[in-house]
Formats: sequence, structure tokens, C-alpha cells
Amino acid sequence: MTDLEFSDLSVRIGERVLLDGVTLRIRAGEFVALIGPNGAGKSTLLKTALALRAPSSGSVRLAQCSVAALDARRRAELIAWLPQHIRADEPVTGLESVAAARYRFRESHALSRRAAERALARVGAREYAERRVTELSGGERQRIAFACLIAQEAEILVFDEPANHLDPAQQLDVYRLLGELWREGRSILCINHDVNLLHQVGEAARVRVVGLRAGRLVFDAPLDAATLPEQIGNLFGVEMDSLQGSEQRFIVARSRRTS
Amino acid sequence: MRALLIVVACVLLLLAAVLVGPRLEGAQGQFIVWQLRVPRVLVGMLVGATLALVGAVFQALFQNPLATSDTVGTTAGATVGALFALALDSSRTVQGLPLVTVCAFAGALSASLLVASFASSRHVHSSDVLLAGIAVTLATSALASGIQYVSDSRALFAATQWSLGQLPQVGYRGVLLLAPLCALCCALLLFLTRPLQAFALGEDLAHSQGVNVPRLRLLALGLGSLGVASCVAWCGPIAFVGLIVPHLVRRMIGSSYRVLLPLSLCVGGALLVTCDTVARLVVPGRELPVGIVTAALGAPTLVFLVSRGRR
Repeated sequence: MTDLEFSDLSVRIGERVLLDGVTLRIRAGEFVALIGPNGAGKSTLLKTALALRAPSSGSVRLAQCSVAALDARRRAELIAWLPQHIRADEPVTGLESVAAARYRFRESHALSRRAAERALARVGAREYAERRVTELSGGERQRIAFACLIAQEAEILVFDEPANHLDPAQQLDVYRLLGELWREGRSILCINHDVNLLHQVGEAARVRVVGLRAGRLVFDAPLDAATLPEQIGNLFGVEMDSLQGSEQRFIVARSRRTS
Repeated sequence: MRALLIVVACVLLLLAAVLVGPRLEGAQGQFIVWQLRVPRVLVGMLVGATLALVGAVFQALFQNPLATSDTVGTTAGATVGALFALALDSSRTVQGLPLVTVCAFAGALSASLLVASFASSRHVHSSDVLLAGIAVTLATSALASGIQYVSDSRALFAATQWSLGQLPQVGYRGVLLLAPLCALCCALLLFLTRPLQAFALGEDLAHSQGVNVPRLRLLALGLGSLGVASCVAWCGPIAFVGLIVPHLVRRMIGSSYRVLLPLSLCVGGALLVTCDTVARLVVPGRELPVGIVTAALGAPTLVFLVSRGRR
């Protein structure tokens, strides 16, 4: 069981500050949703956790070890990533791509394929598993990438806007699947633009919502906290309404704040 | 199934290449077949296979359909080496090897290893490596122009001939020198199939899946350059094989690298040998450099492949 720890993490490119002293700990088995305006540094934070971007100061640690110092295969065992954009220039089949995501396992191709088929079935992508990724729609490609992440079988899963480009039904599917993976004991860190969707994962009291603005942590509250609409309103600079639906509370933007 | 058919077709083409030509009889005919044609076909096979495989690997590595061994400065480096040797004295030998070959090999290897060492750095993206390759190519070309400027016309003519690319009469000795290097590079490159496959959905995703990207780049570039450098040293720069063959194979069977890489190897060997046969026969009584044939066939093929669009 592994914790993911950002300690006093800053990332700067020249004069620009992308992250400014972020300290955040995701304990094993936690669900953390990361929200914030565009350009707040959300994707950068995820990339530091994957050693795709080096900290300018501070540290990112996985299993008491700096991520940059981890062996690549060991890192892939601990943490897996669903990127926001998926490249699809090579006409490979979905099944091949998902089998390739099992790189960290030293196993035969036949075993990789079987695991890939299971992962594809789980995300409901079995029908187009044999089609080339270049022919797939954005939503279908997203599912192939999701299957890659499942096939990697890592302990911590990080998602960069997993419901991007998806229709409402697919959005619900994705968040329900996130909930399933979470209940299986994985830790989840997920960038999200719509807190209302988070209720799909279940157990609102255990879902942490973390607000990030201009590279700094602004708040950290459970999804069912009474103060959350106000905090989200402050984060985006909008007036929020909080409405009680049949099964959950909805937080909706009403108007832009003036002043 | 289709892959198997392609392999059979390649073998048939190779056999045909030995048999096609003017009628041969008696002891002289035996000599021409066994001492001239067979080793030449073998060299063609080795060179074509290596160029095509390296092309396929580099295209995967850079996620760029235009990448070839030229992209990392191999050809430019070889050219400088060859020019240098020709400007000195084309008839000199080192340890029984032509000086041109030795210098071209050294030039090709040092130019591409320069790029490979840059590529193995941690915080570098593939597009940066492409740029570094272009920079090295430009710098080396400038050096080549400098050497040409101070060379005499005889050396210039020899350099032009070299730069067209041909399968020379190297005999079995050349085959024996080339075979272990090419075989080693190709075999080790085929071992990289699995991490390269992970590259298909992007370099960053492959990194997150556990591929050690800098090490993979160093290995692929180093091995690829070594193989290509030894080919270019003997045969000069042979255009288009490394670029066309992977695209051709991709069209035929898709781009699962588990099939694409070995098939590029087969098709590359067969294609170069076939082009060489054409070069041998197209103008009666005279041989064309095979580089002219591959370029003449390669350019329209590339346009055709591109015009049919991506599938």
C-alpha cells in the first residue's frame, strides 16, 4: 500500500510559476478530485507524479522514494496515468495498444493479450478492439486508453479529465468505473471539471475535493461538505447555486462575480 | 497468413535475382553465378534488410513517418568520411579494407552517436532529437562542402559516384565483414519490439507504462546507426529503402510491430536486391548505380502511398 506525497512542490519555467509550494498527501485507498480553473497547474501536478516533469524545488515521493529515482518498471507498478490527449498516428489495433501497456510485466505476448481483452471488456470496448486506433472516434480512443490504464494494474491511478469529449451517458459510465476501481482498493487522483459527476463514484463523505488556483492549493474538503459550493465559487470567481436533487446535491454556476 | 505469403514472395524474388541475366554456360557461367552474383545478392539482402528495419524502428521511435537513418545524420557523416578519404587518396587501404569504407564508417558512426548521446539525456523529447539530427546533418554537410571545395576534380567525380549508392563487387569477404554487424544490430533491434509498441500511443504514455525512454532511444539509435553505418560504408547512401519499406509493409498488414519489424527486414532485403537486378539489366552492357533505381522507384511509390491517404 503506497502513499503519494507532494511536499512543498514548485515547478517554474523561466519566470512562469506553474506550481507554487504544493503540499498534498494521497493516502493509500483515497479518492482525491483535483479542480481548478484552466492553467491552474492541475496537469503539471499529475506529470510531476509520473516523473514526466521535474520539480524546481520540493519533492514528489512514492513509497518513501523520490519518483525521479524510481526504476521505470517499478514506477509503472505503483502509478498509472490516463492522459488528456491520446496520440493516434500509428494504425495499431486497440488490442495491440492495450497489450503493450502491460510492458511492466515480464510475460508472454499471449498472456498480455488475454489481460488486454479483459481490460477492454471492462471498459465496454470489446467491439472495436480489433479496429485501428486511427479509425476510432475521440470517445472510443479514450476508452482504449482507459483499458491501457486498467491493464497496467497499478496501485495509484491518476486521471486527467477522464470525461473529456464524452457524451453524458459515457461520462456516467466513466465515473462509475472510477468508483469500482476505487472500491477495489486503488488510490485515485482525478482532475475534474464537474463536481456533480463525482457523486457517481459513491460515498461522497470519503471523496476529497482539492482546489488548485495559480499553482497553489486553495482548499481541501469532502464532497458532501456544506461549505463546498462557496469554496468552489471562490475558486472560479462565480456565484454558485446548491440544489438538492433526488439522490445528490448539485452545485451549479449561476453568474460570474463582478467586482 | 498474408505475412507468410509476403515472406515467400521475398524469397522467390531473391532466387530470381540470382538467375536473371544474360545466358551463362560452362565454367565461366559457374564463376559468374557463384563468385559474382550470389555474394552481390547476399550483400543486397543484408543492406536492404538493415536499412528497412532501421527505418521502421526510427519511425516508431520518433513517431514520425518521415524518420529514417538519414534523420540522425548517418548519411551526412558517412559522406564527409568518404569525401575525406577520396580527397586524400582513393586507392589507400587500411588492414586490407578500402580507406573510403573505413572513413565513411567512422564518419557515419560519429555523427549519429553524437545525436544518440544527446537523445539519451533525460529531459529531451523526441522532437528535440529530430532537430538535433537535422543540426548535425547541416553541420556535416557544410564540412563536406568545405572538403569538396579544396578537392581536385578526380576526387570530386569519385565522390559523386560514391554518393549515388551501389552494391559493389565485394565478394564473400565483404559479405563476411558485413553479415555479423548487420545480423547483430538487426537481432538486437528486434528485441526492442515490445517497448517500441508501447510508443504507438505516445512517448509520455510509454514512459508512464514503465518504458525507460532515454535508454530505449540510446539503444535504438546506437544499434541502428551501427548497422546503417556499416552498410553505407560499403555501398554509399542508398535512398528511399528505409523510408518506403516500412510504409509499404504497414499498408499490407497494419502496424503491429511484432509483424511490421520482421517483415520490413524481409521486404527490405528483397526490394534492394530486385532494384539491383533492375540496375544491372535496364541499360544493356552497362550498370546503373542501384541508388538511382531505388530513388526512381521510391519517389513515385511514396507519392502513391501518401495520396491514398492514411488508413
